[in-house]
Amino acid sequence: MKNRVRELREARGWSQGALAEQLEVSRQTVNAIENGKYDPSLPLAFKLARLFKQRIESMFEPDEGR
Amino acid sequence: MARVSKGKYNLQVAAIMAVYVALMLFEWPLVGKTDGLALRTLLALLPTVPVVAVIVLAARMVMRGDELEQRMHLIALSVAMGVVSVASIVGAFLAIAHVWKVDGGVLIWVFPALCLVYGVTRLVLVRRLTGAWDFWGC
Repeated sequence: MKNRVRELREARGWSQGALAEQLEVSRQTVNAIENGKYDPSLPLAFKLARLFKQRIESMFEPDEGR
Repeated sequence: MARVSKGKYNLQVAAIMAVYVALMLFEWPLVGKTDGLALRTLLALLPTVPVVAVIVLAARMVMRGDELEQRMHLIALSVAMGVVSVASIVGAFLAIAHVWKVDGGVLIWVFPALCLVYGVTRLVLVRRLTGAWDFWGC
């Protein structure tokens, strides 16, 4: 799954730690999501979308061929 | 539920393990010198108290972890359980067949072996998912 989490976070000038704190997850979890190593659960994806005031489908899109 | 502070968790585990080491150094030698069955049983089981305390702390940390942390704990514990189970059953069959002469005391290695395999698996998972070599990182 590709996502725009890093782009949206950096646009707001937040560190990974600051975003992690708002999401109540570890900084490494934010890092894993941004690097596409981990796809968040639906509740966490909704939390991200609400935080960035985006629609989920505008933040996440499936990788081609997966 | 609030996440468990890693620093606080490490400190608590270190303190409990210090108690365990102290028990093994000063209390355990008394087990062989004690005649009464009840007292010997009590002394023999005393070191399990800090071990159970560490397991409770670890369980609390897992329960309060985020979804990725819980997933990695689950995978690491599953791998550890699988490896230790296979090793135990292989050892048991070899002991029953008198190929490997071993007494019941070998069971003391089950928990450390679980911890070791769990730790190594977790380290590999953290590395693969976050790119870091930070055991507590996730």
